[in-house]
Amino acid sequence: MHPDRSYEVIVVGGGHAGTEAAYAAARMGARTLLLTQSIDTIGQMSCNPAIGGIGKGHLVREIDAMGGVMARAIDRAGIQFRILNQRKGPAVRATRAQADRALYRQAVRDILDEVPNLILFQDTVQDLVVESDTVRGVVTGTGLVLHAEAVVLTVGTFLGGRIHIGEHNRSGGRAGDAPSIALAERLRELPLRVGRLKTGTPPRIDAASIDYSRLDAQPGDEPLPYFSRWSRGDEHPEQVACHITHTNAKTHEIIRGALHRSPMYSGEIEGTGPRYCPSIEDKVVRFADRNAHQIFLEPEGLKAREVYPNGISTSLPFDTQVALVRSIAGLENAEITRPGYAIEYDYLDPRDLAPTLESLHLPGLLLAGQINGTTGYEEAAAQGLLAGINAVARIRGLASWTPARHEAYLGVLVDDLTTRGTSEPYRMFTSRAEYRLQLREDNADRRLLPVAREYGLIADADWADFERYCEAIEREQTRLERTWLRPQDLGEDSGEALLGQPLRREQNLMALLRRPEMEYDRLMQIPAAGPGVDDPRVREQLVIEARYAGYLKRQDDQVARQARHEQTSLPVDMDYGEVAGLSSEVREKLSHHRPATLGQAARIPGMTPAAVSLLLVHLKRDEPRKRA
Amino acid sequence: MATRTICAVATPPGRGGVGVIRLSGPDAAAIGAAVAGPLPPPREARFRRFRNAAGEHLDEGLCLYFPGPKSFTGEDVVELQGHGGPVVMDRLLQALIAEGALLAEPGEFSERAFLNGRMDLTRAEAIADLIEAGSEAAARAAMRSLEGAFADTVHDLVAALTALRVHLESSIDFSDEPLEGLALNDLSRQIEAIRQQIAATQAAARQGQQLREGLTVVIAGRPNAGKSSLLNALAGRDAAIVTAMAGTTRDVLDTHLHLDGLPLRVLDTAGLRESSDVIEREGVRRAQAAMAEADRILLVVDDGAAEQSDDDLMAELPAGVPVTRVLNKIDLSGRHPGLLAEEPNPCLAVSALTGEGMDALRESLRRTAGVDEGEARFIARRRHLLALEQAAAALDEAAEAARTGLGEELIAESLRVAQDELGRITGAVTTEDLLGEIFSTFCIGK
Repeated sequence: MHPDRSYEVIVVGGGHAGTEAAYAAARMGARTLLLTQSIDTIGQMSCNPAIGGIGKGHLVREIDAMGGVMARAIDRAGIQFRILNQRKGPAVRATRAQADRALYRQAVRDILDEVPNLILFQDTVQDLVVESDTVRGVVTGTGLVLHAEAVVLTVGTFLGGRIHIGEHNRSGGRAGDAPSIALAERLRELPLRVGRLKTGTPPRIDAASIDYSRLDAQPGDEPLPYFSRWSRGDEHPEQVACHITHTNAKTHEIIRGALHRSPMYSGEIEGTGPRYCPSIEDKVVRFADRNAHQIFLEPEGLKAREVYPNGISTSLPFDTQVALVRSIAGLENAEITRPGYAIEYDYLDPRDLAPTLESLHLPGLLLAGQINGTTGYEEAAAQGLLAGINAVARIRGLASWTPARHEAYLGVLVDDLTTRGTSEPYRMFTSRAEYRLQLREDNADRRLLPVAREYGLIADADWADFERYCEAIEREQTRLERTWLRPQDLGEDSGEALLGQPLRREQNLMALLRRPEMEYDRLMQIPAAGPGVDDPRVREQLVIEARYAGYLKRQDDQVARQARHEQTSLPVDMDYGEVAGLSSEVREKLSHHRPATLGQAARIPGMTPAAVSLLLVHLKRDEPRKRA
Repeated sequence: MATRTICAVATPPGRGGVGVIRLSGPDAAAIGAAVAGPLPPPREARFRRFRNAAGEHLDEGLCLYFPGPKSFTGEDVVELQGHGGPVVMDRLLQALIAEGALLAEPGEFSERAFLNGRMDLTRAEAIADLIEAGSEAAARAAMRSLEGAFADTVHDLVAALTALRVHLESSIDFSDEPLEGLALNDLSRQIEAIRQQIAATQAAARQGQQLREGLTVVIAGRPNAGKSSLLNALAGRDAAIVTAMAGTTRDVLDTHLHLDGLPLRVLDTAGLRESSDVIEREGVRRAQAAMAEADRILLVVDDGAAEQSDDDLMAELPAGVPVTRVLNKIDLSGRHPGLLAEEPNPCLAVSALTGEGMDALRESLRRTAGVDEGEARFIARRRHLLALEQAAAALDEAAEAARTGLGEELIAESLRVAQDELGRITGAVTTEDLLGEIFSTFCIGK
């Protein structure tokens, strides 16, 4: 790094959002600086050592299809892989992996080091350089003024962080790191809405002090799943099992006895915690009838001595933590290596962002990750990727990337955040996606790789490979649609047995594949139908789409109906006071949210169809004036 | 260009001998022809009989066809001009919807005309007013349509569906959590139960007298207050036995009459009073039952019997049913005819014998019955019925998916569609609402 050089993009923060943002920007050819408080903690997993899961795994696959880091890194660092919802349908199947923290950090670092335009630099950020209402760079803790055409802020919980353990609390980012208080104060001066959230972690336990003989082991899946479409299958390190234990009546008694010393219940904590990730004291209070709660003992790594007991996040005093841990089966002699804690932090209201994640108030500033009110590595990484791409798009005058809700979970994520905001740490769930059947892990590449290619994020060889894959799907699909089976084509005995039920009239293979009980392999055994294709990925795509056909068609129709609204953009500076007929309540909401499109406006809570019509009429009226 | 074909009543609601229904969109010609028979040449009126898919005769009148872009909206437009009246108009709309048309949103015709350049830009403000006023009227009508038992059953329905979705969605999104799962059998059974509930709601809504037969009004009052005379004055014929002996009308008499196109079903009840006569007591019991189900009660009071307070009578009336107090026999008491208290619980002075004040009573009934906004109300109910139909179809799909062993995600998809449809009646249940339910029902989170 040379202090006099100017960059095209500066990314502040080396977490999951920051690394994806920097990587994408650099791969698009932008001179990119990644500014982090500690180069050694780039790619650090600050909470539980796992990536993926339902909804989250979907995001990882999307990041991968966009040429991102996360999927490849976890394939090199995952020590237990599972496919969740294996028994349910393909749309909700999701990959999850336990990670070796050290290997993960190393993998991220190795991947970042592959890119020539990316420079890493260790320093804090004190301030933003703002010139004529546009962000033009940052001022570092050591007083350097660094210029850039766009700044991506991914500072996680470092803004105004406050850590609570029992009655004690202190300023802090995640345990061990300094919070960015100066930057937080600076941001609070800007016309950005700032809110406060809370999250927590469990105490960590020395692996050697756990009695595994008493616990159920949960091994990974076979064959070994992987995240990245570019993985060859030999990246995985050694695999290990997780273990499961439970809290019990005694644990709950200990917790109840110490509630008055919990910052949550003493009113010390003002931030809102996530409902889906309550602390153990919350679970005991709110679900008093339950006498046991499940705990996953997640190894922190192959060589690491620590275990992450997922399920007992707590901010109770340390002595209570020791007692409650030791009341649990297998943990009777457990040694705590780090206490659990709750952390409160600032987030910036994501409704102040455009769907590109650029600030509506400060052009040139993009925000990604936990600072936008989300939780989770995957949610952060996905935003980082999108912000990185859009930072470069802005500089180069390219079309920005704002995936729609039917195109990607990333679209759902950003649309939810920028349209509705959030009052608790936002986590992805598949139930948030109304087009869930289209947004699958298995077709993330088909949905997004062409977009990534447009932005120069896919190498030629990879693209050629992808095109061959798509052609193979199309070819076989056409063949299935055009190959007709007549009842007399079936052999006397084998045909009906293979079909499961008689063929009454001529049908094409695609229609037969749609039968719920039909399997591709079985269908291909019919002489007139086979031999079919060998590539299991191609087969999978055809089978899924055959099975979902009617549902996907209905969703497509719905998308088409909304397309006009989604494509009608609303000017950022639109004066909603001028729109005739709007109620003052709707007017206020629109001025507040400043939706980017009519579609987004329609999704703002409290909007009515009539208000959307009024906006349409207003836009139409203004059209000739704009053209003149 | 719009892809959907919409239909709506184009004439101002309530009065007038002609009711016009307009269809606009790419399928207007086909849908119009399905109901009215072969379309006339463009811009020429022809007499046609309007029928539904079952061949039932609904109305007759003129049919006009305006191919786009030279039409009101710039799209293909078909107009059906019939005799009108809310019930007929509703049945016509129903026939068009069955052929594939959608009910237009308030102001949607004008909006299309405007967006297709068929309306002067200077009229944008007027269009805005129209949309705003239209949607407010529609909202009011929807609220009124949602009053009473119908609302309760729909809310029960939404609650049952939400509970089922909470189970299903949490088993999908939190399959790693030790939740009490829902066996496929249970799932099928619950889907079936909700499907039955929809069927019952549909039946209840369809039987709603407001839709098929108009309003039900019960005439009640003390013996000899002139209830039957009032009915005759309203009906214009001798529908009930009228005598001067208290307790003559022992049963509930059922009369149908029309008030400016709004069908009115008037039940004349036995007098309200304690009686030792078994038959008469039975009459009183029936009167109470009829009143409880009425849309409105006409409480008839003998204006001449001034010494009798009617507070005790009021106390006997079922709660929640609006009341019109009618002070009868002003020919004897000498009071001036007309309105003494405003809606929604008006009081009027009339003489059923001389007819004095009867016009004011009819006018008041029309107003309280919502005849002035009759069509808006009927359309609101029609929207609700359509939403119920769509929800029923989605539940059938869910049941089929469960039966054939398709994935839970497909069952969940159909249930989501069903809930979206019911959301048109009660307001949407958002993902946030659903997640909130999930997190308060289950202990989730590692």
